[in-house]
Amino acid sequence: MKTIRMISLRQIDLSDETFSVNFLADLQSLRSSIQEIGLIQPVILREKGDRYQIVCGFRRIRVLGELQSPEAASRMVRENDVEEFKLFSLALHENLTTRGFNAVEKALALDKLIHYFRIDPTVAIRTYLPLLSLETNEKILKTFLSLARMEDEVKRYVVKEEVSRSNIRRLAAFNTEERKAVLSLISCLKLGENRLKEILTLLEEIAQRDQCLLKEIVDRPELHAIVSHKELTPSQRTDRVKTALMNLRFPRMHQLEEGFEQKKKELDLPPGVSLHHDLHFEGKRLKMEFHFETLEEYQSLLAELFTLPEKKAFQKMLEEEN
Amino acid sequence: MRAALRDMAQAKRIPFEIGKIYLDEDAEKDWVAQTLIRNLSGVPVETIRDKRFLIKQFLGKPDPLSAGKKNILITRFYGRRLKSCPGTSRHICCGYHVINVITNCPMDCSYCVLQGYLNNPLLTVYSNWDDLLEEIDAFLSSGPHALLRLGTGELSDSLALDSVLPVSQILVPFFAARKNAVLELKTKSAEIDHLLSLDHGGRTVVSWSLNPLKMIREEERRTASLDERMEAARKCQEKGYLLGFHFDPIIDHEGWERGYEETISFLFRRIDPRGVAWISLGGFRYPPQLKAIARERFPNTRIFLGELFPGRDAKFRYLQEIRVEMYRKLVGWLREADPDLFIYLCMESEEVWNRVFGWSPTNSAHLNRLFEERLRGFLRA
Repeated sequence: MKTIRMISLRQIDLSDETFSVNFLADLQSLRSSIQEIGLIQPVILREKGDRYQIVCGFRRIRVLGELQSPEAASRMVRENDVEEFKLFSLALHENLTTRGFNAVEKALALDKLIHYFRIDPTVAIRTYLPLLSLETNEKILKTFLSLARMEDEVKRYVVKEEVSRSNIRRLAAFNTEERKAVLSLISCLKLGENRLKEILTLLEEIAQRDQCLLKEIVDRPELHAIVSHKELTPSQRTDRVKTALMNLRFPRMHQLEEGFEQKKKELDLPPGVSLHHDLHFEGKRLKMEFHFETLEEYQSLLAELFTLPEKKAFQKMLEEEN
Repeated sequence: MRAALRDMAQAKRIPFEIGKIYLDEDAEKDWVAQTLIRNLSGVPVETIRDKRFLIKQFLGKPDPLSAGKKNILITRFYGRRLKSCPGTSRHICCGYHVINVITNCPMDCSYCVLQGYLNNPLLTVYSNWDDLLEEIDAFLSSGPHALLRLGTGELSDSLALDSVLPVSQILVPFFAARKNAVLELKTKSAEIDHLLSLDHGGRTVVSWSLNPLKMIREEERRTASLDERMEAARKCQEKGYLLGFHFDPIIDHEGWERGYEETISFLFRRIDPRGVAWISLGGFRYPPQLKAIARERFPNTRIFLGELFPGRDAKFRYLQEIRVEMYRKLVGWLREADPDLFIYLCMESEEVWNRVFGWSPTNSAHLNRLFEERLRGFLRA
């Protein structure tokens, strides 16, 4: 493997991904570097019949191809000289020391180790999870193996949005169709870690309670209306989707909220005054807040509030059913 | 006491799978340890020096709780084993006292708070019983005029292991001789054989947690069926034991009204309500950490699908409107069976009491006094 040879790109089998774990590779900086000073580090190729298999350097060869370079400086491995598994391990180490992996690439690496190279899961946990900077337990291994089996569009979302492991586990609990349905909803929202967790949990619990498909929930007209509302910013859309899902998930609470809002409306409170019910309607206590800037405003607000007990709507509100 | 255990009738087969007994070397000579090992003669025993290391090993397993339930640790407990029931803050509680005989439980209910509460997942039997009885004795001597209620069903099921470790054979006669206390054995099992021959002196209440058939089947794994619980209760009543029933947790599920109505009707076809000391009602509630643990262990559980929100004590409860509706209905069905039943709410606010009953104990001490009056009525009779 010491000698460096120039190998024509046409002789390299680009479709053979035995040693690749690339996913959404960011080629921009590599492209600039190769354009500027050429290939610094030769790629590693393995002879396979009359062609070559890439062991290390998938991204470099892709960039060279894009730049229409005819050949690549390469170190060679003879077909039967080194076992495939050792070469895969070499590729992992090479990538880890130069660029690191995103979540999906870690997942693909673990998936290949377990399902292609037949590494015992306990060895994978003990040896390869720490190599990939992951905690050494079965739950983590399962999480990443489930990610490896997800659809490409979901994987792209996971990488782009840096989805956490607990949310990956939530996504893994859905089947392909459900995941695609969920993705159609969440991909047009602005979701951080907690918001995504809330949305996924709400969807999952509504589906479980109503024994319906996630797609049926996502396809509900009220959700469709929010998602297709072009005037809304992603964060407004997110708030509205969350509220709509909360209303579906907690219908009795929604009913109470609506009733309270209706009663509040009937009170016709002066501007600057707000009225709040007890948290989750756990008690009957009401809380009133008002804002003012001048003495006149203060006096005027108090005068209006003073007449509140005479209003039937207010009396009714305080005589809540016992 | 030792003789009572020695004379114990032939040990039944335990209805749970126990893989191994870990015997703390400090507990080796305790008669409780010897009894349990003898009664589980087919189960391998490993003597251990460092129980903390063992617990750590179990905590490292993928599902420590499931593994822990299938292994018994026999050890000594050096702290206080009799405590006031922690109840819950800012709610009315009943002034109960908890005796810690065993921690953890071989049964596996998806709603069990112990899942998020115990830091030792093993089914743990504390073998220094002489110390425990002394502690109870000292405690009861300190309040000779009260009528205290003590129970073993807080950190485990009171009777689940009774066929191999007859806790009842020690505690029931012990309380029979006390004038100022009543023991409650709270269970979801039907392990009452040892109770039937004991002289309880009216000082033991045997109580069952009840739920509709569907909930028992779906959420209460390895517990006795409703029919078995009722039959066990009937046998205990026949032997003069006072009974208690706990509709706790009441679970909001599809068909809950029919389920609970049928359960109550089934109960009073077997049981004479005049011999029921108390009935508690408590809506399903859980500390925040429980949901993730239970959902991971029981992915198909439906208990978290109701409308539950954090309350004043940070525990999640059903919306008050839902709780009040459930309590009112259950109280109505119970009162149909006997208007004189003593029904109380577990860990509820004054407001909920008022909405359900039209009155409320002024505080936990008041509720405790009501219990005393209730029990004194039975004891006088």
